[in-house]
Amino acid sequence: MTALRLARLLTGLYFTTALVFVTWPGLVPFARARPFVLGLPFAMAWIAAWVAGAVVVLVLLDRVERRHRSDEPRHRSDGSSGPAGGPR
Amino acid sequence: MPQWVVVTIVIVLYLGLTLTIGLLAGRRQSDSVAGYVAADRSFGLLVMYFVTGASVFSAFAFLGGPGWAYSRGAAAFYILAYGALGMAPFYWIGPRIAELGRRHGFVTQAQLVTGRFPSRGLSAFIALLSLIAFVPYVTIQMRGAGIVIEAVTDGHVPLWLGALVAYGIVIVYVLSAGAMAVGWTNTFQGIFMIVIAWTLGLYLPWRLYGGVGAMFERIEEARPELLVPPGLDATGQPWTWGAFSTFILVSAVGLMMWPHLFMKAFTAKDDDTLRRTVILFPTFQLFLIPVFLIGFSGVLFAGSPPTPDFILPFMVLETGLPPLVVGLFCAGALSASMSTGDALLHASASVVVEDGVAKFVDVDEHRQRTLMRALVLLTGVTAYAFALDPDSSLVLLLASAYGIIAQFAPPVVAALYWRRATTAGVFAGLAAGTATAFFFWLNPGFKPFDMHEGVLGLGVHIAVLVGVSLATPVQDEAHLARYLV
Repeated sequence: MTALRLARLLTGLYFTTALVFVTWPGLVPFARARPFVLGLPFAMAWIAAWVAGAVVVLVLLDRVERRHRSDEPRHRSDGSSGPAGGPR
Repeated sequence: MPQWVVVTIVIVLYLGLTLTIGLLAGRRQSDSVAGYVAADRSFGLLVMYFVTGASVFSAFAFLGGPGWAYSRGAAAFYILAYGALGMAPFYWIGPRIAELGRRHGFVTQAQLVTGRFPSRGLSAFIALLSLIAFVPYVTIQMRGAGIVIEAVTDGHVPLWLGALVAYGIVIVYVLSAGAMAVGWTNTFQGIFMIVIAWTLGLYLPWRLYGGVGAMFERIEEARPELLVPPGLDATGQPWTWGAFSTFILVSAVGLMMWPHLFMKAFTAKDDDTLRRTVILFPTFQLFLIPVFLIGFSGVLFAGSPPTPDFILPFMVLETGLPPLVVGLFCAGALSASMSTGDALLHASASVVVEDGVAKFVDVDEHRQRTLMRALVLLTGVTAYAFALDPDSSLVLLLASAYGIIAQFAPPVVAALYWRRATTAGVFAGLAAGTATAFFFWLNPGFKPFDMHEGVLGLGVHIAVLVGVSLATPVQDEAHLARYLV
């Protein structure tokens, strides 16, 4: 339970930080062309790095969430019979 | 054989393949409303990933993205920034929505909101706002398709015919097969778009400047202002930080509130599929990097397209590529336009019938499906009429569409998480937020710090939602238990 809370907290923190660093004022110190990263202007690589980092953070979060869910009785997740009618 | 003939043949083959996939997909789906709208909740990870990615990446990203990089430089980076931010909350919200969808039989966003906040007026209001936001969005896609076809066939296939053929095909498979066809064609089109974007995005800088780094060095010498956020505005003056930041904010909030994306939560096979789609979504976002490179490659190129949005077909035609390759690239741009257009048409019809009509008139399932198909056609025809008008200022309308769509976020969050929220509060908030956004859209001079009108609307919206909710009686406990954990 604590591991789950910590993982959710850190994920929330990552995305809040990302928002700050890709908008005003967090982006201002990084809004420059040099140095180039992989041939891209620094500001472009900087924003792309926050996007790529999001994948890593979400994968890590998912590992924790998954472990937590497997400890619990499983929810119905086959989606086979909603009241609106499934496949016939 | 002249170049335009080869290009046309490639495009015709591509359109034929799309139509075949769309029609074949529909044969695997039940003949119910849940089948037509939510594909019987059957999409696995591969389809979900591409449905979501390809619906987000429209003609705006594929033609507008390079256009922005070309004419406004770093301003385009805002498009790169918001996607991951907007998608992440769906890791938790998505499965909650899917669970309520299964439990109560919801297939649209308004059904979820008005399930928690019962009001037929609210349902009709949401349907109306969705439609107002959808029509210009579909129009942009149609114009995009028409522009590409006209440009590469040297004007032999004019815009009106190109748009008509491309969207005739979209309408045929959306009419016949609904969500399943949208899913499978988007998978095909999504893969196609990614391959095309990376190939072209790396090839053009290499061919013209000897590499990506070399290209940016040249741009840095000649036009350094293009490489530094917040970039330039449409007139070539420096853009404001206020606009750059609030464009990111309103797009992030609005992204998953687009009914055609939101409804994907109801089409997923299970919760794990939804979560993995969210996790992988930022990888689709990185596909904007080559898209921007295409635009940047045109900055120092001799000659310029009629408008910045033409930069992609312009570069493809001007750099002497073989006709076969030109045809493939154009098919990629068509993919972007069609894969969003089909999802939009499908969602708008579903929303209007489910939330606007079925709430007021008693119609059986069969009639609902018929009505949805009629509306797909009607929306398509309306958008097509706008697409033919060369003076239509629909780009402006589209930017404001995000201001409307973002207003759906507070009602959804309140429905899922805030027990004290009431129907009166949600209705008042939505009305006040939309009115505020509309006011600042009409009077841009009043906008503080050049902020996006949608963000200003959200501020008023949330204040009114909270204030009115707290002033009205709390909802019945048994009712709340059906929606909140």
